[in-house]
Amino acid sequence: MQNKIALIIENIEKVMIGKREVAELSIVALLAEGHVLLEDVPGVGKTMMVKALAKSVSADFKRIQFTPDLLPSDVLGVSIYNPKTLQFEFRPGPIVGNIILADEINRTSPKTQSALLESMEEATVTIEGETLQITKPFFVMATQNPIEYEGTYPLPEAQLDRFLLKIRMGYPSAQDEVEVLRRVFSSERMGDLSPVISLEELLDLQEEVRNVYVEDSVKSYIVQLARATRNVSEVYLGVSPRASIALMRASQAYAKMQDRDYVKPDDVQYLAPFVFGHRIILKPEARYEGITTEEILNRIIDKSIIPIKRYAES
Amino acid sequence: MNKNSFKKTELALYYLVVFFILREWLIPIMELTGTGYMEYILLFIAVSLVISLFRIHFILSWLIKGLFIAWFIAFVYGQVWAFSAEGIQFLANDLIRNLYSLMHGDWIGITDPFRTLLFFILIWMLIYLTHYWITVRMNIFYFLALTVFFVAALDTFTDYDGSFAIVRIMLLGLVMIASLFLKRLVHHSNVQIKWPTYIKMILPSIGLIVIVMVIAFFLPKAAPQWPDPMPYIKSATGQGQAEVDEGGIAKVGYGENDTRLGGSFVADDTVVFLAEVQSKQYWRIETKDIYTSKGWENSGNYGDMVIQPEENIVHSLPVGPKENSKTAAIQMLYEHDFVVQPYGLQSYHLDEEYSNLQFLMNGSTEKIKPYLDGNEVFLMDYQVEYSKPEYSYSTLKNPTEQIDPAIKERYLQLPDTLPARVRELAADIVEDKQTPYDQARAIELYFRQNGFRYDTDNIAVPAENQDYVDQFLFETKVGYCDNFSTSMVVLLRSIGIPARWVKGFAGGDMIDNNGATSTYQVTNNDAHSWVEAYIPNVGWVNFEPTIGFNNSRAIDYDLPTDTPEEDELTIDEDTKPDEVVEENEKRPQSTGQNSNIFGNVFARFTKNKVVWLIVALLIASVGGILYKTRRRWLPNVYGMLYKRKSFMETPFETSYLRLLKLLEVKGFKRKKGQTLESYALEIDRYFETVHMTKLTKCYERVIYAKNAENIDMALMKESWEYLINQVIG
Repeated sequence: MQNKIALIIENIEKVMIGKREVAELSIVALLAEGHVLLEDVPGVGKTMMVKALAKSVSADFKRIQFTPDLLPSDVLGVSIYNPKTLQFEFRPGPIVGNIILADEINRTSPKTQSALLESMEEATVTIEGETLQITKPFFVMATQNPIEYEGTYPLPEAQLDRFLLKIRMGYPSAQDEVEVLRRVFSSERMGDLSPVISLEELLDLQEEVRNVYVEDSVKSYIVQLARATRNVSEVYLGVSPRASIALMRASQAYAKMQDRDYVKPDDVQYLAPFVFGHRIILKPEARYEGITTEEILNRIIDKSIIPIKRYAES
Repeated sequence: MNKNSFKKTELALYYLVVFFILREWLIPIMELTGTGYMEYILLFIAVSLVISLFRIHFILSWLIKGLFIAWFIAFVYGQVWAFSAEGIQFLANDLIRNLYSLMHGDWIGITDPFRTLLFFILIWMLIYLTHYWITVRMNIFYFLALTVFFVAALDTFTDYDGSFAIVRIMLLGLVMIASLFLKRLVHHSNVQIKWPTYIKMILPSIGLIVIVMVIAFFLPKAAPQWPDPMPYIKSATGQGQAEVDEGGIAKVGYGENDTRLGGSFVADDTVVFLAEVQSKQYWRIETKDIYTSKGWENSGNYGDMVIQPEENIVHSLPVGPKENSKTAAIQMLYEHDFVVQPYGLQSYHLDEEYSNLQFLMNGSTEKIKPYLDGNEVFLMDYQVEYSKPEYSYSTLKNPTEQIDPAIKERYLQLPDTLPARVRELAADIVEDKQTPYDQARAIELYFRQNGFRYDTDNIAVPAENQDYVDQFLFETKVGYCDNFSTSMVVLLRSIGIPARWVKGFAGGDMIDNNGATSTYQVTNNDAHSWVEAYIPNVGWVNFEPTIGFNNSRAIDYDLPTDTPEEDELTIDEDTKPDEVVEENEKRPQSTGQNSNIFGNVFARFTKNKVVWLIVALLIASVGGILYKTRRRWLPNVYGMLYKRKSFMETPFETSYLRLLKLLEVKGFKRKKGQTLESYALEIDRYFETVHMTKLTKCYERVIYAKNAENIDMALMKESWEYLINQVIG
């Protein structure tokens, strides 16, 4: 199973240059049954990333391009009157699929955003009293441009909570960018990617991730970090217990990727900025001073106490 | 001779040297603090060294040392066999009492046996430290330097003469350093040597040391090249310039023999008697009249006077009016052959059972002793009636009486050897005073203003051809009651005022107050001496020249012109006895009266503060050095400790945590928030290995995984030992 994960990463790397970390993190979210929010300026390869991942899994891939005039029904689906059967028939929208790319999610109206996000959380679609369970795996990768840009509807902080990880793409290094240019005309193109993992295998992997062991001392370490975010003077609102759960789930997936059947504090430390980063609300004055949630989390991690013994009730 | 026995013998020799160096530590401590039983303490050191030599299991070793200490304390302080029921009782009681004192921060309440225990523990630690220095560090330099410093400091600041001790220490220490250097060389080059080789290698150094020592010993030594800094230091620290004679240290208390005064003494707070009185009193016991230039003697037999209980005593001292009579109840706690006399003594009262008891007053000293059927007895309970005399101011100021020639002859005696400058000083002091009383007052007050200081420590004893009073008045100016009172008597006599020297007890400390009367506790520390001068028309009047003491003398200010509002005004001329300063009331007991050796073993530790200051400094500097160099020695100590325990028999977790501890003391501190993995990487990068990561991976599995897999202990052992050796080496 382990090499399946390696295969996915390898596959993605065929088209994405120098973005191994993003690929890994996306797979962490996929394995932990969470969703990912990719954030960065246009043109750094967000969409490409998602497509590459989707193509690597032989799953039902859907893409929703969000625009300001997109309606919830365009996402969830509609009931249409069928003159033959004399009945309304439910036509599921693009949300019903295995891997969904929600492109430029902050370009659509809050109404449509919330329709998407609610389905993400519950993995169901409800139209006119009819509830449709979306089959597993259900994995949403949303992309957004940073909110400083015009013509966007920033996602409310509460909505951001639905995403397991928020990842910044970042610009490629000079060397990588040259490589990108070189590959523009090379043989490896998106269309050539073939699936390397079946749906069943993916579901098995997700099951295994759920069984990755988290020792109580490591759990309490997660809680230690979560609680610490609530006691920082620059922070208006710290993370919720849901965030602690998210961090644990993500750590399990990350441990699995390292071929380990238990979580270490190292996993927790690595993932904390990606899991907690978008769930912390800074005070305005801190934001004006240019303090980032990342800095605050690093500070918390540097002050944390690593458990170096088995958990003992005290 | 095999390797092991060679090492044992070598170590035994080192220990022998250490034993003698430790002895050099002990000698000055014993000497300066007056502690006894040095041979037993040396025995303890020897036993400890032998135990250390044979690496006796620590439980057994602790047992032996513990039992020895218990035996010593019980034997010395309780005079009981430690392992008998009462011995255990004694030790347990003492321990509980001291633990209680410790918990309550009552440092003064800590008893001598407990201090002895702490002293032994200190020695114990010192021996452990030297053991470490020899076997692990293989370097004894710090120890030697400290020893030299200790002895040199004591030699400089105290009476201890360390000239030969320094030579002995240097000889032993240099030999030790040389042989340890050889040991280090051998150890590092990892070779084995045999006795003949060893001797061949060590002989040159020892020969060199001996030659240097011998040459140094016989070479002429230059005189000090710079002035002795001690007088400056001493004056800066307020130790005065007292030349201290080897007169020995006496213990305070009431004694008989005053023929040689001077010298230091130590406090003794044994309670002598309890007095229930209306006001604080001086308690007179006897007087002396012949000054010998070294001390006091009696002039001869003036016949004894029998006094019956209840009888009005005819006394040389004036008595106050009958209506002012008061009664004091005395309860002796300590057998003495005298009864105490308050000023204005009238009569003694006894219980029924003593109806046939008599008192005998010595005509010469005025000491009153109780007798029963012609035998001296100790009277433990009695009442004494007295009425304090009041001296009329106008009478004091108007001397008309011609003093009886007999009194003059007896109380104006002075030795022929009395230096003229004493007489000149006396004349100077009273230059503008007309009446004897004013003159006596001037002399009494002289000591308070002219640079005199009260002290009981480092008090000089006059040399063979030196006068006790002269030395005090002109040279030392530091002393206690005997110095002040004797000097005043001599000064008074030299200007023609009859005077005598009085011994007794000062008022003591109030321990109970029940309205009209108070109970005062008079201890050996209250033993005191003062002055009585014969003032014409008035008789004997008491004076108190000693700084810090006050004895009230009731003066009746009956001058008609000076007191227009009141006809008569009676006040105490001096303030009431000062409670604070009287804590210092002491006078030495010249002959050992029932000297309590056992209780006293450590009593003198409170003296000689300099010694303790030096000891404290030494301990502090050892601690400081150890702390500063802990990165170098602490890992070795831990390493040695850990290596001794078998890795295979210790749980892997424990071993790993020990390794972490060891790395930490070595200075590789795991930062806060640093995971074991990244720490392991750091360590491996430093030592250029992969062992730490290997161990850490295994340990992580042990603590974070659900079921720790079977650990390949053999593999881990290799990594663990490799790292431990890296850290130590």
